[in-house]
Amino acid sequence: MAEILTSQVVSGLATGCVYALIALGFVLIFKATDVVNFAQGEFVMASGFMSYTLLIGFGVPYGLVLLATVVLSGFMGVVLERVVVRPIMDAPIFSIVIATIGASIVLRSSAGIVFGYDVLPLPTIFSKDPVRLGFLQFTAMDVGVIGSSLVIMVGLYLFFKLTKTGMAMRATAQSQTAARLMGVSVKRIFSLTWAISAAIGGVAGVLIAPIVYLDPNLGFIGVKAFAGAILGGFGSIPGAIVGGMLLGVIENLSGYFFNAGIKQVSTYILLILVLVVRPAGFFGAAPVRRV
Amino acid sequence: MNWIIAALTLLVLLGSSPVWAEDGVTDKEVVIGAGLDLTGAVANWGVNIKAGMEAMFNRVNAAGGVHGRTIRLISYDHVYQPPKAVTNAKRLVERDKVFVMMGHLGTPTTKAVKDYLEEKKVPNIFPATLASMWTNSGKWHVGDLATYTDQTGLIVDYLVKERKIRKIASFYQDDEYGLDGHLGGKARLKHTHDLSYVAEVDYKRADIDFSSQAAKLKESGAEAVILQAVYREPPRLAEQCHAIGYNPLFIGPSPIVLAKTIELGGKHVEGMIGVEVYPLPTEPGAFLDQYRADMAKYFPNLPIDTTNLYGYQKAALFVEAMQRAGRNLTRDSVLKAIESIKDWDPGWGLKYGYGGDNRRGMSNAGRLVVVKDGKWVKVSDWTELKEIGRK
Repeated sequence: MAEILTSQVVSGLATGCVYALIALGFVLIFKATDVVNFAQGEFVMASGFMSYTLLIGFGVPYGLVLLATVVLSGFMGVVLERVVVRPIMDAPIFSIVIATIGASIVLRSSAGIVFGYDVLPLPTIFSKDPVRLGFLQFTAMDVGVIGSSLVIMVGLYLFFKLTKTGMAMRATAQSQTAARLMGVSVKRIFSLTWAISAAIGGVAGVLIAPIVYLDPNLGFIGVKAFAGAILGGFGSIPGAIVGGMLLGVIENLSGYFFNAGIKQVSTYILLILVLVVRPAGFFGAAPVRRV
Repeated sequence: MNWIIAALTLLVLLGSSPVWAEDGVTDKEVVIGAGLDLTGAVANWGVNIKAGMEAMFNRVNAAGGVHGRTIRLISYDHVYQPPKAVTNAKRLVERDKVFVMMGHLGTPTTKAVKDYLEEKKVPNIFPATLASMWTNSGKWHVGDLATYTDQTGLIVDYLVKERKIRKIASFYQDDEYGLDGHLGGKARLKHTHDLSYVAEVDYKRADIDFSSQAAKLKESGAEAVILQAVYREPPRLAEQCHAIGYNPLFIGPSPIVLAKTIELGGKHVEGMIGVEVYPLPTEPGAFLDQYRADMAKYFPNLPIDTTNLYGYQKAALFVEAMQRAGRNLTRDSVLKAIESIKDWDPGWGLKYGYGGDNRRGMSNAGRLVVVKDGKWVKVSDWTELKEIGRK
C-alpha cells in the first residue's frame, strides 16, 4: 500500500512538474503584460513537433535537438508577441486574450495540416524502465522530468534575482511607467518575457511528449496547467510551481482512491474548493479593496 | 392569369421532380455518408477506414460503378465526440441527403446518432463499431463482424481454459464501447467459469495518463488484464504497469490490433494479445491481393494495415449488397439485399451470412494474434464464436 502510494506520488509529481512549467509560462506573461496567453499549451505541442522533426526527420543528436527546440520555441514566442499581440497592445485586455486563443487554434490546425492528426511516439533519453530505491519505485523518466523541471525553476529564480535583465523584468511587472522612467525598454522586456515563457513551454513539450505521445491536440494540456496556476494564485511564480505539482499528485491520488470520472473532475473540484476558501489561491496577493 | 400559374407550377414540378424516389440515389450516382474521427483520439482508425472504403469505391467507380451508378462517400470529422457526431449526422441526412450511413465510426458516437437515424429511416450500415447493440437493434442497423461481447468471450475462454489464469482484471473505456466488452466478459466469467474480475478499472475517452489504473491493477494481483481500449491506451498502460514492476498478460479485442499500438508501445507491447475478426492484411488470398493493389494505387502513402482493411471489407460488402439490390435501389431494397447475403466469401476464406433476424454478418469468426518482434502474428486458428453472447 505505502509502496504503491509513494510511486503514485512520484509519478504525479513528474506530471505535476510539467504542469508547473506550463503554468510558469502563463504567469510570467501575465505578470509582465497583464495578458493571459491561451496559446501557452500550443508552445508545448509545437516544441514536441519541432524536436520530432529534428530527431526523426534530420537525425540530429538528442542534446542538440533539446537546445535547438528551446531556442526555436523562444523565437516562436517572440514572433507571436510581435505579430499577434503587439499590434493590438492598446486594445482592451479581453481582445488580446481572444487573439491568443485564435493563435492557439491556428498553431494547432497548422500542426495538423503539416503532421497529420496521428499520434506519434517521441523518443527520449530517459529510460521508462523501473528503478528501485528501498521501497520507492519509479522510472528514470520520472526522475529526469522532475530534475529537469527543478533545474529550470532554480535557473529562472537566479535569473530574476541576480541579473540586471531579470531585475528589469521584475520592475516592469510592478510598474511599467516607473520601469520606463528608470530607462527600461518595456517593449524589449515584453519580447523577452514571451521568449522565456515560450522556451519554458518548449522544455515542457520535450519532457511530456514522450510520455503522453505527440499529436496536435497535446496543447490542451495547457488547460490543466492553467488550473494549476490559478490554484497557486494566478500571478504568483511560487504559486504556479506549487499549484502545478499539487495538481499532478491530486490527479493521481484521486484516480487511485476513486475512479476515472472523479480523477477527471478532481482538478476542478479542488480548484473550486480552494477559491472558496482563498479567492486569491495559495500564494496570490489578497485583492486590494479600492474605496 | 390561370395559364401563368399553370406554367409556373409545371416549371416548379419539372425543376424539382426527383428521378429516383430515394434520397442520395440518382441515375448515375449513390451518395453515402459517414461520421468519422479524423483529428481526435482515434483518428488513426478514422483516417484509415475512410481510405479503405474509398480504395474499394474508387476501383468500382473506375469500372463503371454498380448497375451504372458510381458511389460517392461524404464524410465529416466528429473528433470521437458524440455531440459533434449528431451535428454531422444531421448535416449528412438533411443537407447532403445521403442514401445510407455507412461505416460510422465509434460506439459512443454511433450510439448518439442511433435514434436520429431511426427517426429519419436512414439505414446504419456496417458501422465501424462492433458493439453488440448493432446486431440486435432492429431493422435500421446492420453489423458486419464479431461483436466486442463475442470477442471478450473468446478472450475469457482462452485465459481460463488454455492459460489456466483465474485472476483476470478489466481495464475499460467508461462508455458504450468499453462497457460492451467489459460487461460481456463479466457475464462470460460468471456463467461459464464461475469467476469474476479481480479488478474493474475504468478510464475516460481521450485520457492520457493511467498511473492510478496501473497501481490498482497491480494491487489486485491480476495475472491478465483485458483491455477494452483503442490504440493509445494499451501501450501507455503497459508502460506504466512495467514502470511499477508489474508485468501481467495484456489482451484485448480488435480495436487494439493495429500497427499504431506497436509503433507507440515498442518493447512494452511485446507479447500483447489481440482478437482478430478478419484476416491480417499481409495474408495471402485473392481478396487481400486486390486490397493491397487498390491501396497501393489509390493511397500509396498509407501502410497496409488492419485499420484500412477494416474499411475495405465494409465497402466490399456494401458493393455486394448494391449488386444484389439491382437497378431499383431503395433503402428497403438494399437492406433486403444485405439480408439475402448467405455464405458469401469475398475471397479470403471467411464467409458472411445474414438472414432472418441475424444482423451479425461474419460474427462467428475470431482468432488470437500476438505482438511478436514488433508485428501482429496469429496464435490460433479461426474459432466459432456462435455460442458466445446473445442469441
